[in-house]
Parts: sequence; structure tokens; C-alpha cells
Amino acid sequence: MTELYAIALFLFVLFLLLGTGVWVGLALMGVAWVGMELFTTRPVGDVMVTTIWASSSSWTLTALPLFIWMGEILYRTRLSEDMFKGLSPWLARLPGGLVHTNIVSCTVFAAVSGSSAATLTTVGKMAIPELRARNYPEKMVIGTLAGAATLGLMIPPSLALIVYGVTVNESITKLFFAGVFPGLVLAGMFMGYVALVSFTSKEWNPSVESGMSFSEKVANSRFLLPVFALITVVIGSMYAGLATATEAAAIGVIGALVLALLQKSLTWDSFRESLMGATRTSAMIALILAGAAFLKLSMGFTGLPRSLADGIAAMELTRFQLLMALLVFYIILGMFLDGISAIVLTMAVVEPMVRSAGIDLIWFGIFVVVVIEMAQITPPIGFNLFVLQGMTDHEMGYITRAALPMFAIMVLMVFVLIWFPEVATWLPENMRSGPG
Amino acid sequence: GEKWDMPMAYSASNFHSENGVEFANCVAAGTNGDIEITVHAGGSLFAGADIKRAIQTGQVQIGERLLSGHQNENAVFGFDSVPFLAPSFDDSAKLFKAAKPKLDEVLAEQNLTMLYAVPWPPQGLYFNKEVNSVEDMAGTKFRSYNAATARLAELTGMLPVTIEAAELSQAFATGVAESMVSSGATGYDRKVWESLSHFYEVDAWLPYNYVMVNNDVWTDVSDANKAAITSCADEAAARGLQASKDYTKFTMDGLAEGGMTVGPAGETLMSGLREIGATMTSEWLEAAGEDGAAIVDGFKAMQ
Amino acid sequence: MKILRRVLDFLYNAAGVIAALCLIAILSLIVAQMIARWTGEIFRGAPDYAGYAMAAASFFAFASALNRGAHIRVSILLNAVSPRLKYILEIWCFSVGAAIAWYFTYYAYWFVYWSWKFKEVSQGQDASLLWIPQSVMVIGGGLLAIALTDNLIHVLLKGNHRIVRDTVESHGE
Ligand code: NA
Ligand code: NA
Repeated sequence: MTELYAIALFLFVLFLLLGTGVWVGLALMGVAWVGMELFTTRPVGDVMVTTIWASSSSWTLTALPLFIWMGEILYRTRLSEDMFKGLSPWLARLPGGLVHTNIVSCTVFAAVSGSSAATLTTVGKMAIPELRARNYPEKMVIGTLAGAATLGLMIPPSLALIVYGVTVNESITKLFFAGVFPGLVLAGMFMGYVALVSFTSKEWNPSVESGMSFSEKVANSRFLLPVFALITVVIGSMYAGLATATEAAAIGVIGALVLALLQKSLTWDSFRESLMGATRTSAMIALILAGAAFLKLSMGFTGLPRSLADGIAAMELTRFQLLMALLVFYIILGMFLDGISAIVLTMAVVEPMVRSAGIDLIWFGIFVVVVIEMAQITPPIGFNLFVLQGMTDHEMGYITRAALPMFAIMVLMVFVLIWFPEVATWLPENMRSGPG
Repeated sequence: GEKWDMPMAYSASNFHSENGVEFANCVAAGTNGDIEITVHAGGSLFAGADIKRAIQTGQVQIGERLLSGHQNENAVFGFDSVPFLAPSFDDSAKLFKAAKPKLDEVLAEQNLTMLYAVPWPPQGLYFNKEVNSVEDMAGTKFRSYNAATARLAELTGMLPVTIEAAELSQAFATGVAESMVSSGATGYDRKVWESLSHFYEVDAWLPYNYVMVNNDVWTDVSDANKAAITSCADEAAARGLQASKDYTKFTMDGLAEGGMTVGPAGETLMSGLREIGATMTSEWLEAAGEDGAAIVDGFKAMQ
Repeated sequence: MKILRRVLDFLYNAAGVIAALCLIAILSLIVAQMIARWTGEIFRGAPDYAGYAMAAASFFAFASALNRGAHIRVSILLNAVSPRLKYILEIWCFSVGAAIAWYFTYYAYWFVYWSWKFKEVSQGQDASLLWIPQSVMVIGGGLLAIALTDNLIHVLLKGNHRIVRDTVESHGE
């Protein structure tokens, strides 16, 4: 009975504060405060400061601002134009043609950027005009972009996985490697869908390019060298055991600065803007994480997560049923919340449930990333929808419909993960062992 | 009745945490429900590093902490982590007995009362190669997590690398680290046999986990309930010690089953390590001053 | 009044610049530690210092992030209601926000005070006196509280807040 009352109260205060527009981080602190004042006799203020200090001065967290900074620097380089030049000659002849450059560019850029919005803006600002000029169906251009950009969250580096790893205290390096194959599989599914539509759609009537000779294609591929060099350095340093995830982020920042310098796009102004932008974005996430740490503690004192986990355990759901329940739960939550807030907000309750169900927390990280990727393209709050609205002047409804097939493919991806968990778990479990 | 929250740093399935839950049950029964303790294992309430301050300042009433984590604050807290000073369960029990009066005094100044303490299994050396002498250790990348382990690396000519606990198995898998000093339990939990090949039972030291209660809370407990809690604490200490011994055996077998070479260190290695232990003991005595000397003298007198 | 305005804006911006410098410090510390490891040197306490820089980078940037519209909020309701109701909602949001930020700052002050009084030291290899890095919670939390109050007063007097969103989209998601 007390538990029901507590749940109702937490939810009421949460919706009140979030719904009326209180900043997410501060709203979480407010909910935590109310919970502790009502359900415990502990000194709330001291508890709040103790946990917020512990969570915000964490070494693991330093990967976050660094990967954001790296993305901010690359956003200001010619990286995406070069990627288009290098990739398009190879992809033009595939069924589906240059729409594949959308997906492949997003996949490649995702491997140097930690966020979906950065992937979307960087690839989109270059790909949309090029594809429109070649008369590809607008809906496919917009839809694949909205969907594929979410790979920024799955393919390492990933801000969402850093936040998840810090919240549930699992290795970020492992999570990063767990994301590699699922990201590639998802990209492959998007490309399969494009090919399928190109055969069946009547609107599919792009202007055909005059083909390049093989040697021209190879020559054009030189444009891909910078981005592949950067990927090799960042992911390779982790894989070869030269660096942890945090250190790889530092290597990435330096690599991005070198690249910008070589391309002559590094000016004092662009350096300053990238640094200030990264500082503000990471402060934004840090405030949410601080609020979430306090909320997790407050819930721990009330005993709510444990009794919920016990309650779920008593229902004797199979793992599959539990995952289906969580899938629906996150899809609904994802309509209203951004992915990072959704992760930190729910983990206090979901983590004990998932652990007691015997689900691998590394695998579950990838599961969560797929579902919050969906949240990026579901209305009314979908980050990629907003970004595309700003870039294309289409209405939200149009963009949402264009992205709907991508949403369906991501749901399918959830089942792929459930049926073939090795897609996520094989790489982190089989990393190179031994020195040398 | 009263409700106490008890944060514990290690996972719910760890023997320390299971012992804590039994202690909590014993207290609930012994005080006829006057005091109910909720155990929050796995750092789910406060992380290990924050637990002592949380008890001190009354954020929680009771909790568990590896006190040697606080040796920067007071060298006395590190008495149980001086390498090769008391290298067995029996010796370590004597050392603990010698240190207890001083510890109680230091803790009282910090508004804390110790209820019971349970040792971890003895700390041994993990390597990714066979090691027969201190010279063999030179140049190995050694995971250090505090001042004492960094010093141990320095004295043995190893390269200390700092790895956070969460990144441990990954660091070994990728070769960021090649060696560590830890109990068999850590290696077993982290399945280090995937990357490491040798475990040497050098029994370097046996660090203790302490269950402490806030003094303001403790003062308000009735004498009858105090007696009940103290007797539960004594039972928990005995039960924990036995669990630690059993677990030592269990994890040694587990490491061997995982494919590691598990066994005592050779005489050449041991004598080299004992020399280093003597150096570190004298260094610790310098830091811990008279209090440290009193503890070591008391311990030696019991031998 | 104009002087107060200038002083406040200077404080928000200066703290933002300090936060950016802390970000550079994080980068330098991590690179230094990596190089130390590769060359067999020891850099004691590097992860701890990087952690302190992380806290400083966050807390010093909170206020300027607020003024630049970087902090996320759910604005469906705010955008849907009448101007009159929106005015009331904004007062509510800034009041709640300011109250939480002041509450935090007050307790952060006492937290740091006791760390200073007890000379509490870090448990890491840095063994730093903890009140020094912990002070960023008081300064940064205080600045955030001031910025929220500043905006609240602005809403009350002028009808709207002073938050101006950047044209470049947030790269957080
Ligand atoms: Na990424
Ligand atoms: Na959404």
C-alpha cells in the first residue's frame, strides 16, 4: 500500500515538474527531494550534496565532454563533404542508388561522433541538397536520414552508452564494442529496405549519373582517408589496448584538431566555438546526471526499486515477456523524453529488475540504445524530427511519416537482438587478449 | 520500530553482503522488531568511498566500509594493508586484536562505533606469466589502486597503471594491465583467467571490512537492544571469518578450474617479497607514528 | 542597475570560460597520464584530478548554459498555452528552479565547510584536501541559483526571461 502511494506520488511530482517545463536535471532533484522528505527521516540536503559530488566528479564521466568536443570540431570541418565525394561513386550503382550514401555516411560519421543530432546535422546539410538535385523521392531521403542518424548513438563512441555505463557502473569500453555489430546490422537493414523500395516504388525515378571508371572511383576514395584514419585511431587504440574509452576520447579530440588543422578549417573562432559548445552541452548532460544520481538515491531510501523488482519477479515473467514490457514502456516514454533523460530516469528501477532477471547488463545497454534510438524519431518530442524540421522546412507530420518505416526496422532490430544476442555480446567477450 | 539503512559497497551475492543481511535479520529478531535494518548492497545507496562520511554525518545510521581506503586521512586505518606483516588468517586476527583499542579510539573521535569486522581472503599476486623472483616482475604493468599498491609496484620495479574497478577485466583483456595484487575473490568474480595465467598465494595482507554505527544513533539505543546487537555483531564476525576462509578455498579452486596456475610462491620470490614488506612496514611506521608502533609491538608480543 | 547587470553577465561568462579551460585541463590530464603509462612513468592521481576538473567544468558552466538555452526542458505545454498562462508557467518554472538551486547551494556550502573543518582528504593517490575541488559546487551552484533568480526577476518585471537559444542545434543527443 505504501508502495503504491509512493509510486503515485513520485510519478505525480515528476509529471508536474517535467510537464510544466522545469529543466530536466532540476526537476529530477525536485522529485528526489519530495520523496526523501516524505518517506525518510534522513538529512536530505546532506545526502543530496554527497551524491551529487560523487556523481559529478567521476573519472569515467570525462569521456563525455571529450567525445562531445570531438563532434563539435568535426562539425566545423569539411569531413562530411569529403565523405560524400568518396562514397557516392561506389554506391551509385547499387539498387537504391545514392540514398545509400545517406546511410553509409551516417554509419561512418557515427564512428567518430557520439551523438545522433551531430550525425544528422553534419551528414544532412551535405546529403539533402545533393540527393534532391538528383531527383530521389523526398520521403526516402528524409526518412533514411532520420533513421540512420540514430546510429550515432549505437556505433561507438556513443554518449548514450557513456551515460548508461556510468549509471549502471559497467565498462564503457565493453559497451562500445557491444555496439559495433548491432550498429552495422541495423545499417544493413536500412540499406536492404532502400533497395526493396527502389524496386517496388513507382515514384523511384532518379536521374542517372554517368558512371565513373574504376580508377576514378579509387582516386575519389582518397577523400575517405581522413575519416577512416580517425576511426582507426579512436577505435583501434581501444581495441589494441593502448587506451581506455576515456583515453580514446582524448585521442579523438587531438585527431579531430589535427584533421581540422590539415583541412585549414581550424581558426581561433572555430576552436573557441567548438570548445564553448562542448562545455555547454556537457554541462547540460551533467546537470541531468546529477539530478538522476540524487533521484536514484532517494528511490533507494524508499525501497521502491527493490519492491518493484520483487513484484516483477513474483509475476514470474519470462525474460522475453519482461523485455517486451520494457520495449513498450520505453517507446511510450520515448515519445516525451530525450534518450539520455529516459535512461537516467528509469535505471534506478529498471537496473535491479534486469539484474534479478539474469539479463546481461552489457547486452541490455544495446537493447536500451535501440529503443532510445526510436525515441529520436517519435513525436511529439523527437530530437531528429526537430533537427530535420529546421533543415528541410517540412512539417513534423510529414517527417514522422517518412521516418515510420525506420521505426519499424528498429523494432525488428530489437527482436534480432533477442534472438541472436551474440550480435552484441560476441565482440566485447572476444577482444584481443594478452599484451604485445 | 526504528528503521536503519545500511549501505554496503559490494554486490549482494558477495559473502560480506550476505553476512550483513544475516546480521540485519539477527538484529530484528534480537530487538523484537525495535530496530529493523535494511541492507543496501552493491553500492546501491552510497558508493564505497562515501559510506564512512555518510554514517559520520548521520545520512545513514549504519554501514560497511573497507577502512584501509581511508589511510590518506589517518595512517592507522592502513594497519591491515601493510604487505607481509601478518600473512595468514591467524596472524591477521592477532594484528586486528592489537589494533582494535587504537581503532576504537580514532573512530570514536569521528562519531563512529565499530560493531564488527570481517577480513577479505588473503591478497595474492596475479600475472600473465610465470614469476619466480622479484626480478621477473620488473617492467610488468601492474594495476595499482592506492598509494600502498603504487609503492609496491615501485619497489618491485613494476610499472603502476591506474585502472578503475569497472574497467578491470577489460584492462587485462587488452593488456593495459598485466598484473595485480588482490584476493582470489576479485579474480574469480572478474573471470581474469581469460587474460591472466598465474596466481601466487603470497598472502600479502588481509584487509578488513568494518560495520560501523553512528554514535548519536548508538547512544539512543536501549541497553537491552545494545546487548542484542552486540551479540549479533559477534556472531557476524565469527560467521564472516569462516565464510572468508571457505571462500578462499572456493575461489582458489575456481581460478584453477578456469585454467590458471594456482599455488604458493617459490622461496626466491617469497624472500624477495618479504624484504620489500620489511621496507614498507618501516615506511608505514613512519607515517603512523607512535600509534603504529604500539600496534606492531602489541602484535609482535602475541607471536 | 546597469552596473549590476554588467557584473552579473560578466560573472556568467567568466565562469563559462573557466569551465572551458577545465575541459582543456581534462584533455591535458588524460593525455599526460596516457603518455606517462606508455613511457613507464607515473602520474600519481591523474584520474582524481581529471574527476575534479570534470566537476568544475560542469558546475562553472551551469549558469551560462542556462542563459544560452542549453539545458533541456519539456516545452510542449509552454508552447501550447496562451501568453498569459505562459507567463504564469515561466514564473513557476524559474521559482522552482531557483528554489532547488539555492537549496543545493546552501547545503553544498555546509558540506564544503565540514570538509574544510575536518581537513578531509581524498582517498585516491592524489590525497588532495577535498574542500578545494568541492568548492566548485558552492560557486557553480550559487551562480546557477543567481542566474535562475535573475531570470525570475526579469520575467516578473519585463514579462519574459533572458534566455537566448543558440542557432546551432544542441549536439547532446
Ligand atoms: Na557514435
Ligand atoms: Na520521441
